[in-house]
Amino acid sequence: MAATIEDTATTTSTAARAEGPRRRSGIGPLLLTTLTWIVAVGFFFPVLWMVLTAFKTEAAAYTDPPTLVFTPTLEQFRAVFDAGIGPYLANSLFATVVSTLLVLVLATPAAFAVSLRPVEKTQDVLFFFISTKMLPVVAAIVPIYVVVNEIGALDNIWTLIVLYTAMNLPIAVWMMRSFFLEVPKELLEAASIDGASLGRTLREVVLPIISPGIFATALICVIFAWNEFFFAVNLTAANAGTVPVFLVGFISSEGLYWARLSAAATLAALPVVLAGWFAQNKLVQGLSFGAVK
Amino acid sequence: MTTTLERPAAPPPASPNTTSSRSARTEGWVRRAPLLPALVFTIVVTQIPFLLTLWYSLQSWNLVRPGSQHFVWFQNYVAVFADSQFRTVALNTIVMTLGSVLIAVVLGLLLALLLDRHFIGRGVVRTLLVTPFLITPVAAALLWKTTLLDPTYGLINFVLGGQTFDWVSQFPLASVMAALVWQWTPFMMLLLLAGLQSMPGDQVEAARVDGAGAWSIFVELTLPHLRRFLELGIVLGAIYLVNTFDAVYMITQGGPGTASANLPFYIYQRAFLGFDIGQSAAMGVVVVILTIIVATFALRLVFRSFGAAGGES
Amino acid sequence: MAEVVFDQASRIYTPGAKPAVDKLDLTVTDGELVVLVGPSGSGKSTALRMLAGLEPIDAGSVRIDGRDVVNVPSKDRDIAMVFQNYALYPAKTVRDNMAFPLKMRGMDKAEQAKRVADAAELLGLTEYLDRKPKALSGGQRQRVAMGRAIVREPRVFLMDEPLSNLDAKMRVQTRSQIAQLQNRLAVSTVYVTHDQVEAMTMGDRVAVLRDGQLQQYATPSELYDRPVNAFVAGFIGSPAMNLLDLPRSGDGVLLGGVEIPLSREIRDAVGSAQTVTVGVRPEDVAVDSEGSGAGIKAVVDVVEELGSESYLYAHLIDSDGRDDEATTLVVRGPGRTTVRYGETIAVRVDAGAVHAFDPSSGLRVA
Repeated sequence: MAATIEDTATTTSTAARAEGPRRRSGIGPLLLTTLTWIVAVGFFFPVLWMVLTAFKTEAAAYTDPPTLVFTPTLEQFRAVFDAGIGPYLANSLFATVVSTLLVLVLATPAAFAVSLRPVEKTQDVLFFFISTKMLPVVAAIVPIYVVVNEIGALDNIWTLIVLYTAMNLPIAVWMMRSFFLEVPKELLEAASIDGASLGRTLREVVLPIISPGIFATALICVIFAWNEFFFAVNLTAANAGTVPVFLVGFISSEGLYWARLSAAATLAALPVVLAGWFAQNKLVQGLSFGAVK
Repeated sequence: MTTTLERPAAPPPASPNTTSSRSARTEGWVRRAPLLPALVFTIVVTQIPFLLTLWYSLQSWNLVRPGSQHFVWFQNYVAVFADSQFRTVALNTIVMTLGSVLIAVVLGLLLALLLDRHFIGRGVVRTLLVTPFLITPVAAALLWKTTLLDPTYGLINFVLGGQTFDWVSQFPLASVMAALVWQWTPFMMLLLLAGLQSMPGDQVEAARVDGAGAWSIFVELTLPHLRRFLELGIVLGAIYLVNTFDAVYMITQGGPGTASANLPFYIYQRAFLGFDIGQSAAMGVVVVILTIIVATFALRLVFRSFGAAGGES
Repeated sequence: MAEVVFDQASRIYTPGAKPAVDKLDLTVTDGELVVLVGPSGSGKSTALRMLAGLEPIDAGSVRIDGRDVVNVPSKDRDIAMVFQNYALYPAKTVRDNMAFPLKMRGMDKAEQAKRVADAAELLGLTEYLDRKPKALSGGQRQRVAMGRAIVREPRVFLMDEPLSNLDAKMRVQTRSQIAQLQNRLAVSTVYVTHDQVEAMTMGDRVAVLRDGQLQQYATPSELYDRPVNAFVAGFIGSPAMNLLDLPRSGDGVLLGGVEIPLSREIRDAVGSAQTVTVGVRPEDVAVDSEGSGAGIKAVVDVVEELGSESYLYAHLIDSDGRDDEATTLVVRGPGRTTVRYGETIAVRVDAGAVHAFDPSSGLRVA
């Protein structure tokens, strides 16, 4: 239901309302639409170019002037896999999925505790969570490195999982809190009068309502975990390295092979781009800690 | 904080059994229990490193010289403030963060206004526009460094008429910022578009009936309504961008010299290339203190105007 | 089949502040429909939620069939509630919504199905049983909420402004349906509304609340005929009763230079007081069509024609012939009135229908 409401919300525009019922027959709107399309394609073009280049031969990639006409080839993707992107993809996938699941397991009850049945000092707790997002990561990297090194957890995928969970947890708590707050209080009261236990109420009444929200939260966590580079490059190497780490290594070894690099970059970006396209509406909500619906 | 956040917190849902204080205490723990795992985890993983940073910052400690670790009080801080490179880098960070955020906000606003209409393929356009934000930052930086800004084969020089200008070495900071702006404009666009669409239609209709033109409606109604979204965009953009590392690392490696280095990159260099734990920790502490000063102020401002995030619909 | 007793029941949100519900005493007899009515903030919903177990009872007690429920959780009070926004479970079908309370009680499937089918039949919901709430109209959702309450066969129904989300026509229709249904099921019902028309038409007895305090608890006709104070007098009835502070004069009070006689009973009760708050319902003021000149003169400010009747809102002209804008009267006229805005009319007050209240305490004097 939430999705339907959002869809209608996105189709009503204030500008359209400002124009009102007056039928516009001039070319103004057409020009604006054309301009919008040009800008949009312009913004997207580098990405398109990257994907196109990934299907070129190296010779075709280095033409001056650049060309749009070429015979597509999968050669570059093959080369990227030959160079061993596989394990890195697997690491990224594992770290992303496991940290996201951990985030959901920790954040769902926490968000419940700061929304539907609030504990005392809720606002302090919420601000503590958000404050951890504001402290620059770089200030913590030194001790993290020292500690991780000390306990022999360098180049271990679980190190990244723990850090990614901590990194995404505050966003998830805030975001899910805003979803929990959308559950009408009357529903909980009705359930309690109907004799449902707390667990049952959560399972049968609350969960169906917030499940789209949980899904959106998960997508946001996936995006951040997959794209993370700073921890990965400093704490992992060949063993637990993720895709961004592979990409950086690949540049130093194959820096001159643009088509091959593009193939690697395309592979690195693809999962998150797809996830993000899917969750466009939720991106802002996640990034703004639930402040904007 | 207290005034804005009180609404969601109070009053706690009723429990008919509040008469005995023991059951109230048990009830309190039942309420707190779901929160504790997340809270404890966050404290352990995020706060302990900061405490260690404080501790390390008071020591002279270079990883390349085992056994060099000893307590030096505030010497590292003295060194940090005497370091002219640190000052350059701090300034770079401010320019890079604020510059990128403000440009992205302005571009994002223009795009949001363009998209806040009915036209053919609006959904597709939005999808295209949002893509740069989703591209893995490392890949995005790579894209800018090679495909777009390369002196010989770069698309930008091609579009500008086939010259061979070396953007990255001539304008290193601007090159990094270009990539950041490209990635963050979509976010600002989405945020401001949400803002535009949350504007009550009857306000606009009332203004039109009152005889306001499109420009007056924009200045008198739209901008004031967008204000809190603009504030939020600036603060959040700054929070995320002040941590920029990938783009600097990929495009310029902070060079030439420290011309395009920001604090995260500079501290990274000190810690992982110079292995100077004490100094980099001291820099980290300085950065944290500066961030706290800016952030507490900015965040409260924003979350006040948003009714504590999610308190309103 | 239950008796509900509020015994000095209070709800105090913040200690020291004014209670939201202040020492409420109220008895709902078996099978009775009692309406709690009052302006917003009067404590009517809070009182209902105390009975429901959704708000704690901070002092006094609430009993259902003699059993003190202060420490009994909602689910064990054997009550069912219809919420203002219906509180239907959005992910469940109509059938599952209605069966939910039964399922929670561990009732066997066959009996659940039978009761749901019966209730659906009764409410005309049979064909919608497999729909989700969002696919229903407002009126249908309201009936599902009713159905969910009925299947329980509880001792008490609680209804919290159940009609406020319906449009005017639907509200009138559903109002009588609920009253009929309640009559048929004969389950004690506590019904909360801010709409005095709803209260008057539905309640066997009506409790008028204000600022957490019970003002009057009586049958609708009693409330209408003998309001205990000026607040109830002004709250019940539409348009509201004319309430005027008037000076004593001889055996009556003076209005627009004309003496309105007071009954001996009232005169005795008023004693030597110099002013009396006099209440006259619009239907007890008539336009003096003979125009004998002896009537009270008033200038018409607004004419409301409702078809079957009309209401004239007028301000008085005092004995010196000056406009007295501060003293206004609502007068009921015939459906086809010829009186127009700005016209001066003469009105006559039915002296036998005058209510008198103490100007300072607002209490009825006799």
